Amino acid sequence: MNDSLIEFKGNKEGLLVHIREGSFESIKISLNKKLKSAQNFFKGGKVIGFKGRTLTDEEKKELKSIIEDQYGLLVNETEDIKDKETNTYEDNYFKGIEEGRTKFLKTTLRSGQRIEYDGNVVVLGDVNPGSVIVATGNIIVLGSLRGTAHAGSNGNTEAIVAAFNLQPTQLRIANIIARSPDNEISKPLGPEIAKINNNNVLIEPYLPKK
Amino acid sequence: MGEVIVITSGKGGVGKTTTTANIGTGLAMEGKKVVVVDADIGLRNLDVVLGLENRIVYDIVDVVEKVCRLKQGLIKDKRFQNLYLLPAAQTKDKTAVSPEQMQELCEELKEIFDYVIIDCPAGIEQGFQNAIAGAEKAIVVTTPEISAVRDADRIIGLLEAKGLYNPKLIINRIRHDMVKKGDMMNIDDMIDILAIELLGVVPDDESIVISTNKGEPVVTDEKALAGKAYRNITQRILGKEVPLLDLEVDEGVLSKLKKFIFGK
Repeated sequence: MNDSLIEFKGNKEGLLVHIREGSFESIKISLNKKLKSAQNFFKGGKVIGFKGRTLTDEEKKELKSIIEDQYGLLVNETEDIKDKETNTYEDNYFKGIEEGRTKFLKTTLRSGQRIEYDGNVVVLGDVNPGSVIVATGNIIVLGSLRGTAHAGSNGNTEAIVAAFNLQPTQLRIANIIARSPDNEISKPLGPEIAKINNNNVLIEPYLPKK
Repeated sequence: MGEVIVITSGKGGVGKTTTTANIGTGLAMEGKKVVVVDADIGLRNLDVVLGLENRIVYDIVDVVEKVCRLKQGLIKDKRFQNLYLLPAAQTKDKTAVSPEQMQELCEELKEIFDYVIIDCPAGIEQGFQNAIAGAEKAIVVTTPEISAVRDADRIIGLLEAKGLYNPKLIINRIRHDMVKKGDMMNIDDMIDILAIELLGVVPDDESIVISTNKGEPVVTDEKALAGKAYRNITQRILGKEVPLLDLEVDEGVLSKLKKFIFGK
């Protein structure tokens, strides 16, 4: 199954070549096969980068020459696209949800303050409206959460947001965004936890199992 | 091709943001396609006054830095579908945007909207320079206090120096009873000093406080006096002749009626 080694994915900027693990020879064969199968479609297109299997400079050069010289595509790798892609790449998100690096903030976060951390964040204080917490892991607030919180910011859908008083302006987990309702709602009576359930943010009371 | 209007005052707390929200909403109520832009980076309020804070994902800094597309930065109002907000960033400061970038942004917005209303921050520093950079017209807001009028005068001078001639004046928070007793500057005194065209007078009204806290501009309130004042201002911006005196007479009759009913 040589075909499965190469996949083209298009976005606004151009095409991305996804490469699975395999020998370089078989990668070349499947690349040739793929491009030949839709030669007219690919002609004049723009390749913006390679993803997946790491390529040596020599290998990359060879693939580039195949794409450019034989099939008439343009290869124009842009550095930041590569960076951005690796960030969102499935295997690269923060996984320390159960156990991982954590930042402790012993202060109240006020409007205009922004905390970004690659890990879990625990706030011993309040998070006021207008402030933002972005964490790649969980966010726990021992106080009122009234600002914006983004847990699992690089893609971990298992991340949670918990607070003694959970009333965020906006709550994001991974790529799901939820906002507070427009009408006044009753204050939560106790601590609550927000997590993703069926592509929605679900908020439920925190009830310790006794 | 739309019109870019900046709402400014120099002094803080005279009602720039409230005026922006109400004029923007008022124009949208008249069926115009409107965007209100919050240029007060670091101390944003316009989103709160419009009740749209919980919808912010991208902001003006993201738009000028091209982190997102313009369309992604615009927030659709929850009441009027032809009203949009471009919110300020809260975690940055005024230097995050340059006057050139603002100019470019206004040009872009002008293509899409009939009216681009910019909420200017207080002061005369970079935030002010940014806010007026792309503007073609200016509205100066003042209150009947000597300090606010002094600052308004300074602002009119600065606007003229930047080529924004003939700004219009809105006098906010006037209290008819106090003016009558001679305890408050009257409208003629202020126009005498500032010597610019009066666009409207907005009475000091409790309903402003209520509507601001609710996130619903008072202009939508049929009963509120301040709402009527803003509706008249909207009409004048649209080029219709609404006699300025009308409001004053109205105020008089209404407050008399109120006194008659409520006994004071």
